[in-house]
Amino acid sequence: MLIPRRVKHRKQHRPDRSGMAKGGTRVVFGEYGIQALEHAYVTNRQIESARIAMTRHIRRGGKVWINIYPDRPLTKKPAETRMGSGKGSPEWWIANVKPGRVMFELSGVAEPVAREALRRAMHKLPMKCRFVKREVGEA
Amino acid sequence: MAEVRIAAELRTEFGKGAARKIRRTDKVPAVLYGHGTDPRHLTLPGHELLLALRTPNVLIRVQGDGVDELALPKGVQRDPLKGFIEHVDLLLVKRGEKVTVEIPVTVSGDVIADGLLDQQLVSVAVEAEATRIPQGIEVDVEGLEIGTAITAGDLKLPGGVTLVAEPDTLVLHVLAKPTAEPEAEAAEQGEAAPAESAE
Repeated sequence: MLIPRRVKHRKQHRPDRSGMAKGGTRVVFGEYGIQALEHAYVTNRQIESARIAMTRHIRRGGKVWINIYPDRPLTKKPAETRMGSGKGSPEWWIANVKPGRVMFELSGVAEPVAREALRRAMHKLPMKCRFVKREVGEA
Repeated sequence: MAEVRIAAELRTEFGKGAARKIRRTDKVPAVLYGHGTDPRHLTLPGHELLLALRTPNVLIRVQGDGVDELALPKGVQRDPLKGFIEHVDLLLVKRGEKVTVEIPVTVSGDVIADGLLDQQLVSVAVEAEATRIPQGIEVDVEGLEIGTAITAGDLKLPGGVTLVAEPDTLVLHVLAKPTAEPEAEAAEQGEAAPAESAE
């Protein structure tokens, strides 16, 4: 699973969930991709799960790109704990995904296979997504 | 390449408020500059512009309100979800002038059965006459063997077009198809992977 090797601060504020993706909104590496339509915190487990769903469907052939990285820690206080006494311990690693962001890309397989592989991957993700293709030459 | 005529109005109000007002009327704010002239702010019809920009490096004749210029789209800002055009930067060009543009590289044919085509470059920078920009370059990959690489220098460019990119830049190469994923194999054999379910 994807985890940062070293971080400057173990505990961070929760990332901002407003606005749209400013970059990474088009398919650039592969031919097909999954684009987020909503905001979400995507955990490293969800990313890994989506990747496995995709690669198991395409089996041999095909290349997968993961364009997001879970570099933000989220903390959680233990259950039935009184408030106060400091921030909870880091529990998850998440990528802060905003609408428009292309999260996964795929190439080297036929379109029907890619559609099905990415559909399976979308079921592992916590937001509405859509299948997108690379636009050839559109300005 | 034929030019597309687009009617333009000069824009006198600026800022996000004015730009949003323009977009609400199905128009697109744009700016026209180049050749050391002062930038001119324009309003262009949204649908016509959208159709024109489907062609890569389309030559646009902007007409109206005292403007009659040839231009190339230099930067296009789109809404990432809905795809409508938010703003366009147009670069002034003259007939016969050489311009540097990115043209798409498309692939035709299939590589050998065990090969996986890895296209590293989807567009390549070339220098061409503004009125004769090619729509794209097609690369035939039919039957290419594993390990074959095509660089920018290998591309067959039409007459009057010169390569700007480094000739040794990799455009595409053929890799061996990866074998089945080891973890997938392990999972198929016994579903005995407790690491995921331990928490």
